[in-house]
Amino acid sequence: MTIFLLNIGFGLVTASVLSLLSVGLSLQFGVTNFVNFAYGSYLGVGMMLAYTFSATLHFPFWAAAALGTIFTGVVSMVIAEGVLEPFARRRKSLFYMLIVTFGLSLVLDNLLQIFYGVDFFQYPVAQSSPVTIGPFSFTNAQLEIIAIAVVAMVGVHLLLSRTRLGKAMRAMSDNMDLARSSGIDTKNVTRWTWFISGCLAGLGGIVLALNIVSFQTNSGETLLFVIFAAVILGGIGQTYGAMLGALVIGMVTEISTSFISSAYKQDIAFIVLVLMLLLRPQGLIPAKGKA
Amino acid sequence: MTLILGYVATLLVTFFTYNIFVIGLNIQFGYAGILNFTVITFMAFGAYFYAVFVMPHADNSSQVFYILGLHWPWPLAMLAGIVASGALGYLVGLIALKRLRSDYLAIVTLATGTLVYGLFGNNNKLFDGWSGLFNVNQPFQSVATNHPNEFSWIFVVFSGVVMLVVWLFANRLYASPLGRSMRAIREDQDVVDSFGKNSFKVRMLAMVIGSVIVGIGGVLTIQYIGALSPAGWTTGETFVVWAALLVGGRANNLGAIVGSLLVAVIFNEATRYIPQVPSHPNLIPNLRNVIIGGLVILSIWFRPQGVVPEKKASFLEVPLVDKYAQGFPGEEPGGTLSPAASEA
Repeated sequence: MTIFLLNIGFGLVTASVLSLLSVGLSLQFGVTNFVNFAYGSYLGVGMMLAYTFSATLHFPFWAAAALGTIFTGVVSMVIAEGVLEPFARRRKSLFYMLIVTFGLSLVLDNLLQIFYGVDFFQYPVAQSSPVTIGPFSFTNAQLEIIAIAVVAMVGVHLLLSRTRLGKAMRAMSDNMDLARSSGIDTKNVTRWTWFISGCLAGLGGIVLALNIVSFQTNSGETLLFVIFAAVILGGIGQTYGAMLGALVIGMVTEISTSFISSAYKQDIAFIVLVLMLLLRPQGLIPAKGKA
Repeated sequence: MTLILGYVATLLVTFFTYNIFVIGLNIQFGYAGILNFTVITFMAFGAYFYAVFVMPHADNSSQVFYILGLHWPWPLAMLAGIVASGALGYLVGLIALKRLRSDYLAIVTLATGTLVYGLFGNNNKLFDGWSGLFNVNQPFQSVATNHPNEFSWIFVVFSGVVMLVVWLFANRLYASPLGRSMRAIREDQDVVDSFGKNSFKVRMLAMVIGSVIVGIGGVLTIQYIGALSPAGWTTGETFVVWAALLVGGRANNLGAIVGSLLVAVIFNEATRYIPQVPSHPNLIPNLRNVIIGGLVILSIWFRPQGVVPEKKASFLEVPLVDKYAQGFPGEEPGGTLSPAASEA
């Protein structure tokens, strides 16, 4: 029973990491309407940039994390402006958009490996002993991860509900043509969406690295389909659905380790993805016109 | 001379097997528009299952573990490997082909690839984990005893014949009514549905046939090399197949041949001769992957139809009859509806 409760705590941490990542993917999907298969590589970009800033350039860790987050957003925006949007403007079919992002993931992964090699890295932060809160037990880093995720989710909520940009994003996600004809600068909104999506990917990568402590450039890569599982579970393109999906997937995968070996965590996520596609492919919160 | 001959044989076998992979992917993507982002997993399935069917029972004292170990004769084991690969294709199709959006299938293939890779690698009881299988029984070993290259050249002929059969089959499929349905689904599934075709079934057939063909290539690979470990089927390998297909030209098996010659043989082999950088042992393979990924993107931008584009379908034009001029109630209007109209 204690292990079970402990795992619920870890589920909360995993859900926090996943929520950042799945919301980032979902926001971008809603606006641009194609899945970005290079998203897993953006995690690596964030992770490694934060490592460079903190370990090599000796910035304080919070500053390194912030810089890593913003630079990943910039990388995402530059890639979108330079590669993806030109393809989208040419009205290439969905097939080709997906292959392009898939190709991009190979390029980014290998560029990261060229720069950083295949070694394992660790952030220069002190490893604290776990703190016990009720039945749960967290390291300081894990508490910070949960706090960061909560702040980020509130931030995304405020962005979508209170700001012009957020409202424009929602409008474009609902109906692109209508949004354009009501005078929304769709190009600009798309650009900012890629930036925000990249920031969330970078931040997600950094907190993932904090959580698993020692990481490689491609540590985020295998998480990609777990993110997809969370996004599809919540209803593809649905931001709040993605938060819900992340919570469910995070909890289910961690709680499953009470019963089976933790080596099969991802297989559980895959089973959830498969069940979802078979039983309720539109997701928990279906979106109109998507999927 | 012996060395060169052996090398040429290896190049030819590489060319033939990659050609088979590309044709398999071509049937899935080029014909039916199915995005399979884990081609190489099907190759591994074929290869591994061939291996465990043909190898003798695992000898536990050697610390090499694998399932089955049935020691079947190689043609039967070959069949088993191919069936295993087709079955995986069927399962993946069952999960994702009912969905309309192609994203879902792409996600499921990618997830399957990640999963199978982790499962086969981490679980050393299945296919000997990360170290992989080796000393896999090769065919023709009993006859090829005279000369080290004899096996290689027998295998060149064998894989060449298999490739030819696959090639002819793929071309036959392309021109068949089933192939036409596949291409129609690729262009517009709604239209095909409205014609009363069972598009799920047609797509499933494309998925399974493609997987079976990739599986054949996988079996040939392990038969020739005699070993396979997870390091031999990473995502990068999937890209080589994709790049070959896109560079060569999708939906055209001649393009598949050109693509696998250019990408899998000439580009891949040429980069092997670039001297290694001692401080960065992975630099060259990484650069190769960057270039292949870039090649995929650039070929879609500059020449999406590939070096050898798909031939436009040409139909016999039948002059249209003015159907309102002579139409009576109850009579077939037009009368001479051209076959073009029903196939377009």
